[in-house]
Amino acid sequence: MSELIYPQPVKAKFFTPGMIIVSLIALNGIVFLAIRFLFGIGAVTNLNNQYPWGIWIGVDVAAGVVLAAGGFVSAAMGHIFHLPYMKLVVRPALLTAMLGYTFVAFAVFVDIGRWYYIWHPLVMWNGTSPLFEVGICVMIYLTVLYIEFTPILTERFRGKVNLPSILRVFNGLVEWILKLLDNTLGKVMFLFLIAGVVLSTLHQSSLGTLMVIAGYKMHPLWQTPILPLLFFISAVCVGIPMIIFESLIASRSFKIEPEMHVLSKIAGYVPLLLGIYLAFKLGDMFIRQSFVYMTEINKFSIAFIIEIVFGVILPMIMLMSRRVLNSPFWLFIASALVVLGVGINRINNFIIAYRPFYAKSAYIPSFGEISVTLGCIALTVILYRAIVMIFPVISLPKQDDLKELKHNRG
Amino acid sequence: MKSKIKFLSFIVFVLAITFTFTQCSHNDKEHSNDSDKASVLDDSFDKIDDSQSNSIEINEHGVKFDHTKMALSCKDCHSCQYPTKQKPCLINCPRKQLITVYHAPEEGPTLVEMNQIKGDYKPFMFTHKLHAQMANMTGGCQTCHHYNTTGPIQKCSNCHESDRAKVKNIHIPDLESAYHRMCLTCHREWSHSTDCQQCHLSKDQNPEEYKKSKIAKYQHKDHPPLVEPGKIVYQTKHSSGKFVTFQHEDHTKLFGLECKSCHGDDNCISCHDYWNKQTGNNTVKFKKTHKTFQQHHNPCSNCHTIQNNCGKCHKEQEVDKFNHSSTGFNLGTNHSHLQCNACHKKTGVFKGLNKNCTSCHNNFVMGKFDHKKTGLQLNEMHADFDCSSCHTNNNFAVSPVCNDCHDGYSYPAKKPGKLVKKK
Amino acid sequence: MDEKVKNQNPRRTFLKQFAVGTAASVGVSLIPTKTEAKFKDTQRENETRMGVLFDATLCAGCRNCERACKVAHNFPVDDIETFRDRSVYKEYRRPSPNNYTVVNEFPPSGVATFPIDVKVQCMHCNEPACASACIVGAFTKHASGAVTWNSDMCIGCRYCMVACPFQIPTFEYDKAIQPKIQKCDLCFERTKVGKIPACVENCPVGALTYGPREELLLLAKEKIERHPDKYYHHVFGEYEVGGTSWLYVAPVEFSELKFPPVGDSPAPGVTEAIQHGIFAYFIPPLALFSWLGGVMYVNNRKNKKIENEANEGEKK
Repeated sequence: MSELIYPQPVKAKFFTPGMIIVSLIALNGIVFLAIRFLFGIGAVTNLNNQYPWGIWIGVDVAAGVVLAAGGFVSAAMGHIFHLPYMKLVVRPALLTAMLGYTFVAFAVFVDIGRWYYIWHPLVMWNGTSPLFEVGICVMIYLTVLYIEFTPILTERFRGKVNLPSILRVFNGLVEWILKLLDNTLGKVMFLFLIAGVVLSTLHQSSLGTLMVIAGYKMHPLWQTPILPLLFFISAVCVGIPMIIFESLIASRSFKIEPEMHVLSKIAGYVPLLLGIYLAFKLGDMFIRQSFVYMTEINKFSIAFIIEIVFGVILPMIMLMSRRVLNSPFWLFIASALVVLGVGINRINNFIIAYRPFYAKSAYIPSFGEISVTLGCIALTVILYRAIVMIFPVISLPKQDDLKELKHNRG
Repeated sequence: MKSKIKFLSFIVFVLAITFTFTQCSHNDKEHSNDSDKASVLDDSFDKIDDSQSNSIEINEHGVKFDHTKMALSCKDCHSCQYPTKQKPCLINCPRKQLITVYHAPEEGPTLVEMNQIKGDYKPFMFTHKLHAQMANMTGGCQTCHHYNTTGPIQKCSNCHESDRAKVKNIHIPDLESAYHRMCLTCHREWSHSTDCQQCHLSKDQNPEEYKKSKIAKYQHKDHPPLVEPGKIVYQTKHSSGKFVTFQHEDHTKLFGLECKSCHGDDNCISCHDYWNKQTGNNTVKFKKTHKTFQQHHNPCSNCHTIQNNCGKCHKEQEVDKFNHSSTGFNLGTNHSHLQCNACHKKTGVFKGLNKNCTSCHNNFVMGKFDHKKTGLQLNEMHADFDCSSCHTNNNFAVSPVCNDCHDGYSYPAKKPGKLVKKK
Repeated sequence: MDEKVKNQNPRRTFLKQFAVGTAASVGVSLIPTKTEAKFKDTQRENETRMGVLFDATLCAGCRNCERACKVAHNFPVDDIETFRDRSVYKEYRRPSPNNYTVVNEFPPSGVATFPIDVKVQCMHCNEPACASACIVGAFTKHASGAVTWNSDMCIGCRYCMVACPFQIPTFEYDKAIQPKIQKCDLCFERTKVGKIPACVENCPVGALTYGPREELLLLAKEKIERHPDKYYHHVFGEYEVGGTSWLYVAPVEFSELKFPPVGDSPAPGVTEAIQHGIFAYFIPPLALFSWLGGVMYVNNRKNKKIENEANEGEKK
């Protein structure tokens, strides 16, 4: 079967009714983005001096980074550990990672007060700052992701460069650049692949270190010195479910057959990873004796239970069953639970657990903040759809094979 | 030149040895022949010598004081054992034991214009006499003049630097802080306000008019004299021993306690119950604060033993003033004004005194006693008698009767001398 | 990529390229190590640092310090009498972008018979979390004790606000261009020319004392020793978060005066330990890099073998 299919641009209608809704959400976000850049962060957000970070960091950046973990997990599994069946999903995962990190970088750009100084960390280094490390790693990793994506670009355009009208004179030059890229990159790509995995390991964990310095301001259910380890393990955990999640959505959206043989195979690893994560999480809880906070019922204990039960335990049990692994629907539900669970974990760590001593009222994101976050996600979705329709990302049977397949079935 | 140096170093050498022996320096390594150092050493030695021969010194603030005439231990002011002029190692003000002289409030100025600090507000007139009278009921002059030698009253600015940026010893507050702390420690409690214009002149006021009005208002104003309560009855919440009667008058008049020994830390509001305005009767109510047992009983336990002795003070009803005749010895007119310790010499013990006059009055013997004091100057004949010749059994309470010796004689027709004015 | 490398000697290429990568990474790793060392020497372990002692038993809540601070930092200032308005004490206030310091009032409790006023501003930690956390190192802990912020570096990420255990840095949320992080700078510009901080200079009762930190500690302890019944026996800032330049003495327990439960360990301690652990001379990342490289190489060879065998099998 795998011999029959290979990556190719998807042919489908771009503006489906769903996509029109997505576009409207994106437009709404853009309006609030404009307000943010014209009148300052305070004009759009509910942030204040007690709550300096809101959902733009908690959801867009923290959850964004972890949900783009599919990229490095698949790169590690496919390219480094050479699990052959990963080849099919490496490209979509890479694209998600690339778009995800672009989205993260954009969110940072929106959230920082002086967006025009976003390059400062490149020249002003502060070795003690985990944020500096995250920033540098994300910047390099984003570059690495773009480099990793170049072969797809060259594959699409090499030998087909045909610029319109006047620009036609550059055809030769562009063709030459593509050729050069294709030839040289191929030889050093392995360096970038490994670097991508190392960089991900570093910043996925350092993202956890970020909140350690908040100290007592962070609820003890989450505040622990092993936060970086927990962040890293959960990033590894969410990589595969994220690949499954988006693969299933894509196949549904483009009305193509889901590659269940690959998906259920890789999903088999997830319970083990979740188990390790759960062990660390609960072990840490018992060592620090933070379970005493579970006895009181408040938003902290409830958020923690939701995160653990629905995000870790439930999908772990589900994915141990053959029936779930073989059913696209249940596999989708289970992966979605892991994705949501880890997403909630990031939101919990960055927003719910952060309870500043002097806050007068809890932070609730404003409509503008939510609009911008949703708008950015919508833009990412639009970009994803556009790219898979232009570039060979998703593996499909050859167009004529497809017809044949349908014909045979019919 | 060379010989001069030689001579100088010789002197220095001799001096240095003396120096070491007088223990005035802690560093004997310094007596080298280096002439630069020597001159410094020489100089310091002169001064020390000077101070030893003449104990009157003039300190850096131009105040003369005589160390030897002070009833002080060196440690009251100096932290090291051998203070020198270069290193007086003075302990920080306010010193634990204070040196003060008492002045009556009327001796000081009535009003003082406070104008040493330039700031946002204009100078103001401080009602010195009124405050001195108030202080008289608590800590006395030293409440404010907390460090003063036996000499003249020192200016605050002698110790308290008037420019805050130039304060060298941060343990001594600068002048502005010192003033304001003095005022605010009481006034914050007194009026519960920190409004600057309570004292300070506002911008639209004319300073001259303000000055005049202040003078007119306060020149002859005195704090009403304090009515001392005879006794204070405290009611406790305990069912047994509900009443504690404090004989205030006895403590001041008979035991001779000064106000400040109990009221040293008191503030205006201690008496002027600002919140309750309940000062109608003699029984003064104190503001209730949460005090520990220790803090609560401190006023008594400072002198009295209170352990296992509750019933001594905690009674079922109010207690009357102590009547000395209940002990069998009527104080009469001669002894009633005396303080307890005039007779009861042993502190804390009030028992076992001999009622015999001579047990206290050891001058009631022939030759020592000046009989003029009784208003009767004995003539030559009687002056030579032993006291007991007339005063039988040395009982001076009962006047002698003439006809014990002289038949038919009777006082006052016949006198053993002549009457004089009583002393 | 594996197809592209196939026609060369894979082993030689791999080793050669790997060596280049390693050398580059080592080169990069040296720079942050150096900057770390500098940070430690000049900014933290300094004996000359100054500080301010705040005595809550003296402060009368006149708010002269608030006004003086505004004047010193060129903020718009109201008439002095407006600062006498005590109705502001009805709610607990925090520093804001144009108010580096605020005074709060607490009802009398314990041995205090009148309200307790407490000034709030940057504590100027000995080991400032903001300086440790700042992504670009825009905060500087000076030898004088002051922790200052550099507008030319700041990117406005507000991580300092997340990190600060006292929640001091404030951000100008209403500005679209050049929003600033605003906090007390211990009047760095004034102290540089020999003046004392504006708040200290303008306190009528001397509730604020500026001086060497060591000396201030002695003064604070002396105050407590001299009036043991007037003070709660603790100097806040002596050990809190590894020590702060601002020290506090008060008549009641500090938790009653809304002091945060910060503890004695320096705020950036754990984070820096983790960071130094992960980046110990860049060894752990390089080790991971080489290990992954090794794994990849071995797997590549194995795969090729299988492929070759399959190809051969096909040929046959």
